[in-house]
Amino acid sequence: MSDLFGTSRLARGVVSTAAWTCYLFLLLPSLIVIPISFGNPGQIEFPPRQFTLQLYRQFFTDPAWWGSTVQSLVVACVTTLVALILAVPAAYALARSRLPGRAGLRGLFMMPMLVPVIVLGLGLYLQFSSWGLLDTTAGVVLAHIMLTTPYIMVSVMSGLHHSDVALETVASIMGASRVTIFFRVVLPQLKASIAVGALFAFLMSLDEVVVAYFLTGQNSMTLPVKMYSSIRWELTPVLAAVSTLLTVLSLLIALGIIRMQGKTEASA
Amino acid sequence: MTMTTAAAAMIELEGVAKSYGDVHALRRTDLSIAKGEFVTLLGPSGSGKSTLLNLIAGMITPSAGRIVIDGRDATTLPTNQRGLGMVFQNYALMPHMTVFENIAFPLQVRRLPKAEIRRKVAEALDLIQLGHVADRRPRELSGGQQQRVSLARCIVYNPALILMDEPLGALDKKLREQMQLEIKRLHAELGITMLYVTHDQDEALTMSDRIVLMNGGRIEQQGTPDALYFKPETVFSAEFIGSSNLIPGTVQIAADGTCRLKTALGTFPAPAPAAPMKAGDRAVLLIRPENMAIEVSGATTSVPGRLEDSILLGGVVRHFLRCADGSTLIVQELNQPGRSVAHRGDLIQAGWQPGHARLLPPQPAN
Repeated sequence: MSDLFGTSRLARGVVSTAAWTCYLFLLLPSLIVIPISFGNPGQIEFPPRQFTLQLYRQFFTDPAWWGSTVQSLVVACVTTLVALILAVPAAYALARSRLPGRAGLRGLFMMPMLVPVIVLGLGLYLQFSSWGLLDTTAGVVLAHIMLTTPYIMVSVMSGLHHSDVALETVASIMGASRVTIFFRVVLPQLKASIAVGALFAFLMSLDEVVVAYFLTGQNSMTLPVKMYSSIRWELTPVLAAVSTLLTVLSLLIALGIIRMQGKTEASA
Repeated sequence: MTMTTAAAAMIELEGVAKSYGDVHALRRTDLSIAKGEFVTLLGPSGSGKSTLLNLIAGMITPSAGRIVIDGRDATTLPTNQRGLGMVFQNYALMPHMTVFENIAFPLQVRRLPKAEIRRKVAEALDLIQLGHVADRRPRELSGGQQQRVSLARCIVYNPALILMDEPLGALDKKLREQMQLEIKRLHAELGITMLYVTHDQDEALTMSDRIVLMNGGRIEQQGTPDALYFKPETVFSAEFIGSSNLIPGTVQIAADGTCRLKTALGTFPAPAPAAPMKAGDRAVLLIRPENMAIEVSGATTSVPGRLEDSILLGGVVRHFLRCADGSTLIVQELNQPGRSVAHRGDLIQAGWQPGHARLLPPQPAN
C-alpha cells in the first residue's frame, strides 16, 4: 500500500492534508448551520451575534413544522416496517432457493437502486395521479418502500452469505419445518444485518426529498419537502434548527449502523 | 453375519442411484442396515459415501430406486419428516442458543411439555458429562465438548437412526480416539442405529459392526472389520484397509488342483482364490506386512531382497526390502528384545506362510 502513495513523510503529509481539506469542504456546509441555529431568530446570519434557543422553540411550537416532522417519522417508521417484511423473506428466498430465473428476479428487486430517483418520482407521480394516491401518506409510504427495499435486501443477503447453511440442514433433520427454521434459526443469525438494513431504510425515508416532492402536498408533506419549500418561499432561520436536529439524528443512526456492522463482522 | 429380515431393518436401500447429468455420484446400490447396528461408510473422497448419506437424510432425491426407513417408504419424504439425527464435522450448533437451548431445540420442535424437555435435556447432558456447561454458548466450548453437545442433541429425541458425517474430522488425534470410545459407549448403551461416514480406516476398524467400503460411486465390499481386513476381495479393498504387499503374476493350477502364482520374483503357492480363476489368468498375491518375517533360512515361502530401511514405530518395526525386480516389500515385526537385527544393504529373506497370503483378481484398468 505504502508504495502506491509514496513512502516519504512529505508525500504522506501532503496526502493527509488534501484528504482533510476535502473532508472539511464536504462537512462545513452541514456544520455551519449549527451555530446559526442558536442565533438570531429574525434572520439567517453567520457568525451569530447572540445565543438563544428561540429557533428551536419556534420549530417545536409551529404546527406546520412539527406536523411535517411527525409525518416524516410516521412515513419512515411504516416504510421501514413494511420494507423489512418484504425484503427479509425475499432475500432469504433468493439466497436459498434454486428457483430458475433467480438472477433475473434479483435484478428486478435491485432495480429501484439503479433507476434515477427523478425518473422514479416522475413515473410514480403519473401513476399515482390516476390511482388517487397523490398527496396521501399511503402514496409516499409506497414510494419509499420501493426505494428502501433493495437496501435492506443487500444487507440481509450479505448476512445470509455469512450464515451457516448447515444449521438450517441440521434443524431440518431434527424435524423443524421451514417456518420454524426461518424464525428460530435464520432470523436470529441475521439480527445485526437486519438492524443495519432497517436503520438505512429509516434514514433514507427520513431525508428523501425528490420523490416525496413529486408525491406530497399540503396534507402529506414530509419534513425535507417542507424544508425545501420553505427555502424557496420564506427562507426562515428555523431551517437551521431543523437541519441541526436532522444532522444529529442522522449521526446517531449512522453510529448505530457502524456499531451493528462491527457486530456482524465479529460474529461472522 | 446378521443380515436380517426386512422387518428388523432400519434402513433398506433398493437399487438407489444418483447421477448429475453424466456423472454417477452413486451407481445402483442395495444396502440394508439392521436396527441397532453400527455401520460405517468408508471410502476416499468422491467415492459416493456422502451422496449415500445425503440421500438417506433427504437432502437430495435419488435418480432411481427406493429408500425405506424403519419400514416406511421415505424415497420422497421431506428431510424433517424422516425422524433422523445427524452429527456434522463442524458441529453445526446454533451459535445464538445456549448448550441447553441447543439440546432442547428438537424437543421444542416436537412440542413436548416444558417440564419433560427440562428433564430430558438434563439426562442427555449427564450422559455426555457436560451438565456444568448448560448455560454457555457453543463458542465458549472446546471442539470436543461441542461435538459431545451435538451428539446429545441427537440422542435426546431418540431418532430412528443417527447419521454421522466425519464427526471427528476436526479434532486432534488424542481427542478423536477418546470420542471414538465415547460414541461406541453411547451406541452400546442406547442401542441406536448409527451410520457413520469416514475416510479414516482406523476409525472404521475401531468403531464398526460392519464396514461398507465404497469406491467410484458403488459398494466395493462390505463386512465386519475382521472380514474386510483379513479377507479383502479386491486390490482396492486390500490397499485401502491396512497396508499390503501386492505381487502380480499369472495363475498356474497343478494337477491336484492346488494353485500357484508365477511372478517376477518366483513362483509361489497360493491359497484357493476368492473369485473363480483359471490357469493363465492375471492375479495378485496379497501378503500383509505383519504376516511377513525376516528369516535367516528360507524355511517357508520367501523372497530375497536388500534391506533399504528400517523404521521404528514404537511397538512395531517396519522393514523396506528392495527385490530383484525393483519392487518394494514391507515387512512388519513386533519390536521386542531379540528381534532380527539386519543392517541397511544386507541381503535378507522375507518369508511368509502360504496360508496367510491371499489371491486377488487384478485391479481393473480404469
